[in-house]
Amino acid sequence: MSNLDYRVAHLRERLAGGPLAELGVQVTVHGDSVLVTGTVPSAHCRDEVARTVDEALEGLTVRCDLVVAQASSPDQAEELA
Amino acid sequence: MIRIAAVGDIHMGPESQGVLRPAFETLPDCADVLLLAGDLTRHGTPEEARVVAREIKDLGVPVVAVLGNHDHHDERPEEVTAILQDGGARVLEGQETVVECAAGRIGVAGTKGFCGGFAGRNAGEFGEPLMKEFVRTTRRHADSLRTALERLDAQDCAVRVALTHFSPVPDTLAGEPLEIYPFLGSYLLAEAIDGAGADLAVHGHAHAGTEHGMTSGGVRVRNVAQPVIGRAFHVYHLQVPERVAAPVGGQAH
Repeated sequence: MSNLDYRVAHLRERLAGGPLAELGVQVTVHGDSVLVTGTVPSAHCRDEVARTVDEALEGLTVRCDLVVAQASSPDQAEELA
Repeated sequence: MIRIAAVGDIHMGPESQGVLRPAFETLPDCADVLLLAGDLTRHGTPEEARVVAREIKDLGVPVVAVLGNHDHHDERPEEVTAILQDGGARVLEGQETVVECAAGRIGVAGTKGFCGGFAGRNAGEFGEPLMKEFVRTTRRHADSLRTALERLDAQDCAVRVALTHFSPVPDTLAGEPLEIYPFLGSYLLAEAIDGAGADLAVHGHAHAGTEHGMTSGGVRVRNVAQPVIGRAFHVYHLQVPERVAAPVGGQAH
């Protein structure tokens, strides 16, 4: 098995260079586990990132805590006096 | 009062058509203009740009945009720009535009900007040609932003806004790994904003950053990347400065 740091680096390149062009996902190594965080534009994107991560980091404990960007109108404005 | 709506990094693709439209349709009730701070697409393809164009078409408020690095990935920024313009957006790169609204004229100067880092921890124009070109690219973007803001100064604007994709300050990057700050923005953009003057600076790019910051010259900065604001857009209310009337029969100075 190649060094985990390099596997994570290659995974990040794959996420950026692949069909999702996803550069906004953080992949951090915690001992033998990997945490994936960030906000992605759609549920499709979240599921695809999760699938790619599972595939690339097979055999490791992976926790995918991605959230989908909210598309609602704001409740209030910010007053800039 | 002037009401400025803004969002960046919406990263639209064919499957996200219509996701933002319901929120965008509320804009005429709450904003005078919508600013789009780049990374409107994933790969900068014409197909993705058409998704964005349909999302913003006939919104009822003017739309002013800059492109982001994702919008350049397919190396067809002119095509992406033309498609967004067909959708009604004014797409700025080193240019300015004025939006007329009931409360006054809103001047927007825009550029994608580029990276290089922040004062004291930045790349320098030194060494290999590639390195020099890297820094010069940022400098060109910053210079074009400064001159666009300066041109607006002569156009009787109630407020002037600097719109970029890359960040002018490190404040709004808090939450991103420190090591990648040099890839997220450049102090040259802030120096240009402070040099020419602006009432607000809006950017995107840093998905894990924070919304609020300020330049050394006291210009408020807002990171409106959609993952940061957690909404379809945010709205900022700017007070229009009181105008000093010329004395009757006197001479204005």
